[in-house]
Parts: sequence; structure tokens; C-alpha cells
Amino acid sequence: MAPSLLHPPSQLSPSAALQLSQQAPVVLRDSPSTVSSSPLTALFSASETADLWIKYENLLLSCLRTGDERAAHQCLERLVARFGDDNERIMALKGLLKEADAQNNDELEVVLKEYDQILSENDTNIPITKRRIALLRSLGRVSDAVSSLVQFLKFSPTDAEAWSELADLYLAQGMYPQAIYAMEEVLVLAPNAWNIHARIGEMQYMAATAPGAGSPSYQKYLAEALKRFSRSIELCDDYLRGYYGLKLITTKLIRDLTKAAKQTDETEFTLPDPTTVERLNELATAKLSEIVRRSTAQEPGWRGYDKLEVAAAREILSEDASAASRTER
Amino acid sequence: MAQVPVQTIHRDPQLFYWILLPITLVMILTGVLRHYATVLMATAPKKLDQKTHREQRSLLHGINVRGNFHVLSERSFNTRRDALTTDYESGAYLKDPERRGQAPPNPMTDPSSMDGMMGMMKNQMAMIVPNTLIMSWINAFFSGYVIMKLPFPLTIKFKSMLQAGVATKDMDPRWMSSISWYFLCIFGLQSVFNFLLGSDNAASQMAQQMGQMGPATGQLFGPGVDPDKQLLAEAENLAVIEHYSVLDNVEQRLLEGIRV
Repeated sequence: MAPSLLHPPSQLSPSAALQLSQQAPVVLRDSPSTVSSSPLTALFSASETADLWIKYENLLLSCLRTGDERAAHQCLERLVARFGDDNERIMALKGLLKEADAQNNDELEVVLKEYDQILSENDTNIPITKRRIALLRSLGRVSDAVSSLVQFLKFSPTDAEAWSELADLYLAQGMYPQAIYAMEEVLVLAPNAWNIHARIGEMQYMAATAPGAGSPSYQKYLAEALKRFSRSIELCDDYLRGYYGLKLITTKLIRDLTKAAKQTDETEFTLPDPTTVERLNELATAKLSEIVRRSTAQEPGWRGYDKLEVAAAREILSEDASAASRTER
Repeated sequence: MAQVPVQTIHRDPQLFYWILLPITLVMILTGVLRHYATVLMATAPKKLDQKTHREQRSLLHGINVRGNFHVLSERSFNTRRDALTTDYESGAYLKDPERRGQAPPNPMTDPSSMDGMMGMMKNQMAMIVPNTLIMSWINAFFSGYVIMKLPFPLTIKFKSMLQAGVATKDMDPRWMSSISWYFLCIFGLQSVFNFLLGSDNAASQMAQQMGQMGPATGQLFGPGVDPDKQLLAEAENLAVIEHYSVLDNVEQRLLEGIRV
């Protein structure tokens, strides 16, 4: 799918972002810089659409990613001309540009002070609050970022973006239970997001295999991770990360099946019985090899996979094959 | 069989230029004017302070947890339920906890809800004032004129609609009076305004009337609703949930559902 300026560019690969930002001169030339609000011209010219401004915003973000700051400034000028200086979203974009222009940490600190200033005047300015947290994180002040994020989530607990950022921050610090909690909140807001299900599965796998995890929590985490990955596949067939996680966990479970302990707590998820694990493992292997084969062959409908993810899947399959041949010998 | 004779009324062709066109033009221009007047008079939605934010969003949070509890494991759901219920019941999320238990402020005297009232009043005025003016203008100058003949036959029932202000019993309903043309303009200019002003214009009165009759949105946090009661009700809703999870037996479902 060709990258479009109508979608937020945060998920794009670098090359796609570059492609978008190279369109900047054309877009800036062809789109109207301002839309007159006088009634007479409005009667005769095309009316303004929201798409235009979304385009400018996304173009700005792409240009910042690829270092085309001149075009980014032009986009911002037009957005400011339309929405004024005190629009919350525009304020955040302006801050973003200032952060991009800053040469060193001292200048970033100045930007941070400006954010604090804005927030002291209006403490519900959500875009600026988020920028401030992101800036704190990029300055390396992770604990400050976490505490302001927690503060923010106290008064806005329905913000999925903030919860997932918090999960990411906790994960980076190795605080797995907290990270899982935050990610579950995202899931509460978006119950059918298969990537979030798989992400929780990954976190639980990490928590289970982290050094220092005791045997009961190890079992608990693995059991839920297995279920999370299964759920993500149930929601999205052919989801590579889901199958990869399933494969990883079932292989691990088969390997140390012998030391499985009995679980006592009723409220916890229990591991499925060995035959089910075996069958899940077979399913994951078969599906992964199908995905690898077809996406390598560039079959139509199988092209959207990330190259690195396919490479990782191929690796785990070949490991599996070599382990199998070793046991046969 | 006797043919009903076709009625012919000789009209001055100038009627068209001096009545039909002016009425239409005035109606369109008033619509455009009303649109811009509404845009100018519109007040920006009032900023909510942090505590109101917290009150509303934590209620939403509870609703979300209640609606999507099945994605959580039982343990994490219980943690959330306990935390939310405790906070709801202790009133930790309330905007002003000391006002707990008092009657909610009367929406008519509450200054925070006056803005909404004022906005509604303004819209009403912007509709009523020009309509009254035009109506009396037409009544004063053009009442009793028959200004056009519709190009298609109509039944007698349309007579009262099309010949308002003309009291002739036997006239064919195809003949149309000026005041009726005005009414037709009120209801029929919607698409013209859509074309001129875009689809979300404020000129059409029909849309406004629809909006007033439609379901009141934002009733969740509307004036006159006691947030404390809402939160307590939500705590109760959370308490009665019997937990199950989509993760129960998901492996079996997967093995049955997916064939390679």
C-alpha cells in the first residue's frame, strides 16, 4: 500500500517516510496555503475540507523525520495561519518543531520550561502534556516521565496512547508487572486489538524468562502468554507475531514439561495439557512456514509482512529443525 | 362528458420580477446571513478544568472496564474492580467531594449550564426574528397575489397549502399565492444552502429543529445529573459482574477454528 498523507505517519518505514516528505514541494505548491473565510469567496471557491489540514500535519511529521525542516516550517506556518497560535494541537506541533530545531540539551531544557509555562496556565492541555512527557523521556529523565505520565493518567484514564507509552516506559525499566498492567488498560479501551494481545503475550514471556522470576509466577506468565498469543491469532489469522510467540512458548513448554508443577490457585490460568501444547506447536510451525514461504515468494496477498519479522520466523523454524534432527540421531 | 374548463387568469408578467424573484432572493440571503450570524455568535465550548475531566473520564473508565472485562484475566479484573469501587464509593474522583449528598444544583440557576441555555436561545432568536420580519414584509406588500401556476395538476387538498391568503373557493389548486411561495422556500431551500455554504451550515431551520427533537447527546454529563450517584451506580454495576474471560479455552477454539 502506498503511503498516504491522510494517515498519521508514525508507523511508516523510513523509506516510506522519505517518499512522503519528498512530495513536500509538490504538496505545498498545489494545496492552497490559506482558505479565505470571507463569505464572498466561500461562495465561489471550493469549500475547505478537514483533509487539507490533516495532510499538512502529517506532512509536517514526515518532514521532521527526514530532516526537511524548511518544509516543516512552511506546513506549520499554514496551520498557524488557519487555527491560530493558541490551538492546543498547534501548540504541540510548534513545540515539536522547536525540539527538532534544538541543537543541544540546554536548548531542549528551554523548550521544557516553555511547556511547563503553558501547563501552568492551562493544566488540561493534553497535547502539550504529552509532548512534555515525550521530551522528558528523550532527555533521559525516565523517572520524571513516568511520574508525569501517571499524573496525567490520573485525570485522564481513558487515553490509550498514554497507557501504552507508560507500558513501554515500564518495560524499558524491566518492571514487567506494571508494564503488563498498563498494557491491559489499553486492551480495556480497545478489546479487539490483536497486536495489543500479542504485545501483552510478549511482555509476559519476557517476565517469565527474566532472571529472578520464581517458578509459580513463571508458570502463570507462560500460561497467560500462551493464551494471549492464541487470542491474537484468533482475532487476526496469519498474524506473524502471534504465531511466532505461540511457537516460542510451546517449544519452551515442551522442552521443560517434566518439571511442570501443579497449580493450586483457581483464579489463575492453567497451562493446557501436553497434547494441546504439542498440537499448538505443530499449528504454529505449519503456519509460520507457510507465511515464510509465501511472503518470500512474494505471492499476492502475502506481501505486507515486515522483512525482519519474516527473517526471525525463518530463524526459529531452522533452529527447530536442527533440534529435531539432533534428537533423531 | 363535459370537460372542466381550464381556468385562465391573466397575470401581469411583472409579477414574476417583482414578487417571485424578490421573495426567493430575500429568503436565500437571509439564510446565508443567518449562517454567518450563527458562526459569529457561537461561543467556544467551555474549557473543563482538570477535576471535571477526572470525574468524567474516570466514570468512562469504569464503563470501559465493565464493558470489556472479558479481555482481562480474573486476577487483573478483580484488582481493577476493587480499586475502582473503592474510589467511586469514597468519592475520590468527585470534582468537589464536600458537596457529596447534596441535591444537584438546579440547571436553571447553575451558571455553568447557562451557557448551553444561552446558545439555544441565540439559535432560536436567529431563527424567529428574521422569519417574523419576512413574514410580515410579505403580508404587508404581497398578500393576496396569485403569482404562479404550477406546471402539474394537484388535488384539492393542496389548496390550503398553496393558496394561503387567497380566499377564492373555486380556483384550481395549481395557482399559487405569494405567502405559500414563502413557505415553500422555507422548507425547500435546504439543498441550495448545502450547495452554497457546505453541508454543515447553520442556515437551514429543518436541521436545527431535527437537532432539538433528536436524542439529547451528552446526557451522560449534562447539567442536573449528580456525578456522585452516577459513580455509585457504576460501582454497583462493576460489583455484580460475573467474570469470564475470552482467554478461557482459547487454545481449543484456535485448534478447532484454524486449519492449515
